[in-house]
Amino acid sequence: MTGLNALLALSGGLFVTGLFGVLARRTIVLQLVSLEIMLAGPALAFVAAGAHHGSVEGTAMFLLVLALAAAEVAVGLAIYLHLRRHAGGGDADAATRLRR
Amino acid sequence: MSWGLAIWASALALAAAALAVTRDSVVHALLLLLAALVALGVAFFALASPFAGAIQLLIYAGAVVAVFVFVIMTVEAGPEARARERALLAGAWRWPAVVAVAALVPMLIGLGGAEEGTPGGVGAAELGLLMFGEWAVATELVSLLLIAGLIGVRALSRKGRDGE
Amino acid sequence: MLAYLLLLVPMPPLGGFLLLALDPYRLDRRAVQAAALAAGCAPLLIVAPLAIANLSGAWGDQVAPIFTLGVGNFEVALAMGIDAMSAVAALTVAFVSACVMIYALDYMSYAGTPDLRRFFALMNLFVAGMLAMVLAADSITFFLGWELMGLCSFFLISYNMTSPRAFAAGQKAFLITRIADAALLAGLLLLFLEAGSVRLAELIPAGAVAEPVRGSIIAALLLIGALGKSAQVPFHTWLPTAMAGPTPVSALLHSATMVAAGAVLLARFAPVIEAHPVVAGATALAGVTTALFGAACAVAQTDVKRLLAYSSISQIGYMVAAVGVGAPAVAMAHFVVHAAFKSLLFMAAGVMSHAGGGSTAIDSLRGAARATPIAFLCYAAGAASLAGLPFVTAGWWSKEAILASALAAGPLGVAIWAAALAAAVLTGIYAFRPVLVAAATPAQPRRRCREHPLAIAPLVVLAFLSLAGGVAVAPMTELMGGHPPHPAHWVEIVGAAAALGGLAGSVAVVFTPALAARVRRARKLRAGLQFDARYYALLVRPYRRLVRHLSGREGAWVDRLGRPPDGATADPVGQATVALGLWLRRVVLTPFTPDRIDIAWMRSAAGIGRVAERGRHLQTGRVRDYALALAVGLAALLILGWGMTWR
Repeated sequence: MTGLNALLALSGGLFVTGLFGVLARRTIVLQLVSLEIMLAGPALAFVAAGAHHGSVEGTAMFLLVLALAAAEVAVGLAIYLHLRRHAGGGDADAATRLRR
Repeated sequence: MSWGLAIWASALALAAAALAVTRDSVVHALLLLLAALVALGVAFFALASPFAGAIQLLIYAGAVVAVFVFVIMTVEAGPEARARERALLAGAWRWPAVVAVAALVPMLIGLGGAEEGTPGGVGAAELGLLMFGEWAVATELVSLLLIAGLIGVRALSRKGRDGE
Repeated sequence: MLAYLLLLVPMPPLGGFLLLALDPYRLDRRAVQAAALAAGCAPLLIVAPLAIANLSGAWGDQVAPIFTLGVGNFEVALAMGIDAMSAVAALTVAFVSACVMIYALDYMSYAGTPDLRRFFALMNLFVAGMLAMVLAADSITFFLGWELMGLCSFFLISYNMTSPRAFAAGQKAFLITRIADAALLAGLLLLFLEAGSVRLAELIPAGAVAEPVRGSIIAALLLIGALGKSAQVPFHTWLPTAMAGPTPVSALLHSATMVAAGAVLLARFAPVIEAHPVVAGATALAGVTTALFGAACAVAQTDVKRLLAYSSISQIGYMVAAVGVGAPAVAMAHFVVHAAFKSLLFMAAGVMSHAGGGSTAIDSLRGAARATPIAFLCYAAGAASLAGLPFVTAGWWSKEAILASALAAGPLGVAIWAAALAAAVLTGIYAFRPVLVAAATPAQPRRRCREHPLAIAPLVVLAFLSLAGGVAVAPMTELMGGHPPHPAHWVEIVGAAAALGGLAGSVAVVFTPALAARVRRARKLRAGLQFDARYYALLVRPYRRLVRHLSGREGAWVDRLGRPPDGATADPVGQATVALGLWLRRVVLTPFTPDRIDIAWMRSAAGIGRVAERGRHLQTGRVRDYALALAVGLAALLILGWGMTWR
């Protein structure tokens, strides 16, 4: 299997690992960590594909994904702090006000 | 450029990530996340994308993990917390695992068929030309996103409005 | 293209009818009169240029199709058309209707009729129906107009709904004309089967070339239809009693237009009649018999409206006889002239009787010459035209044409001519009786009554036409495809002598006490030779007895079906039907009583609610659950994508 395929498989594995983490963990911080891992998967895929084709677009996409991840982490942690103060103390399952 | 090194580093990253999501201590999870991200940076360097690698180490493994650290400084991490986490994980890993595997299998099977490319490295100059040339709009949109994030964070952390 | 204006001709009166008949729409008296006037006079304005253009040759015969329906092998094509005959008839009808409508505006305000709207609405509907009939180019429109006229006649005769006499008169008119209409319908349907089309242009030739037996039957049926509508013997009993309606109704319907519609029918279908000699002969005989009978009965009348009714019967007999001897154009010419002077006579009589206190007895007209001089003079002009005073009146020219045509029609024609001549003498006698009575000095001198211009203007116009219209008779006959007869001089002299003899006879009857007494005692003649009484005994009484018998003594048998049969009922069919209905209701309908359906419906609605309740549990509000859903969806999509590439 070519190098690219192996890297793509690994990136898929990273993504799925992150997915598992988001679904299985109840603590918001750990969910955020899992989200970072999820985002790292496609980032790897982009850079690997860019290297494979010698194209700069892979790196450019990686930059966009990175910016996205940064923004998401910031907002996510702010929400976590907010929730911890006001509702549920950091447990994702306690925030059920979207139900109604 | 070395594919073998890249694969090795990515495998390390995967292992670290797998460990990270299954720890019962938040600090351990965070450190393993850091390890995964650094490994990915190494992989990028091995793929002759030094700029990507540098950015990864600086921002992902640097800034993002630092923000995480600031937050979990306020989280209690004693033995009771760890026990609690373990109990929660024990009860909740089955279905997510099934779903994750179900999502992974088609991805693996669908691999292959990529056209023969001309492997090569990319430099920062070309990246700059692309980002602020063809993809200028996307770059602006992402900067908008960052500003939105900034404003959101500021709004969420205002102490004046309580019980909202 | 312009032919579509024909469709517009009956529209104003139809619109007037709708406007006046829509009850919730409040209209005051003036508005009603204005609407009636506009709707009644508009057809004249529309049809006059069209008719004149057609008659003068500038505009050929037109047909304006209304709509066409394909039924199997046949085609039903409704249309209105104009040719010489319908142009003449339409012009006459529109003109006389306008005159009578103007007259009625004044006349009806005398009687203080409360429901003026209904009157004018019905008059307008009648005008629309007659115009549709006259301008019809297909048998369906023709019959539609025919029936509409009959209906309006019923409503207008029994206009005074509080009078049982008026209602009975309307009923009698309606029933008798209905029986005749059934014959007409049968004739038209048989013609349709012969021709395969409803257009008159195809029906009439088809009827003419039909084989003798079938064609004779068709012609006979058409003749019966015409006789009934035109109040000819033996269908005449309804017209004298129809005089119970208001005078404008008598002036329009029962003198000029509706009763003459039978003659128009015969003139239209004349080729069919002439092609079958037996029926033609029967037509001529029926016409001349009626002419003689009507004139004789009219002599003995003491009521001026009944006198004029019998006169109409007699004059239309002339028209029918003219068709029978093969001169339909002459019959139509007489139709036009008769429309003019008969409506004039009725209207003038109405004015004179109003001045005399409202009674229409001839004796109460005494002194009307002084009270209402203009109306009297107009009446006199109309009477002169009716009697056919030589050369100066239009009636002379048209009647002479009829007599000459009869004489030229072979041996039977001579007999017809003789009988018609005798009728002409009698006509002269009865025509002048009211004139002389009105001119006589009354017991008490009567002062001059005010004659409203609305009532007088139509009289004057019609009087002028009755006198001067003679010049138009010959050209009209030619235009309508007939040949104006040129009788020998001795025939004309005999005709003149007959008319003048009638005048002399009238003077004698009025002023000679012995003759006057004879006339007064002629009760049988006054009662129309007791046709009425005989019909009642022969037809009406047994029918009523039969109905009473069938209704049962204890009430209608239908009521007894609800109770258990006592074995004496003789209506098993009806009983079985009712029992079947009850059984069906029990078996089919009761299981579906509203309760059950309702319950089932509400239960299904509640079921939906329950499903929604359960579905609510999906919304936990927990991020992880939503994330799980997303992940499951993602996995499914990926598997799907993999599956689709699996080839």
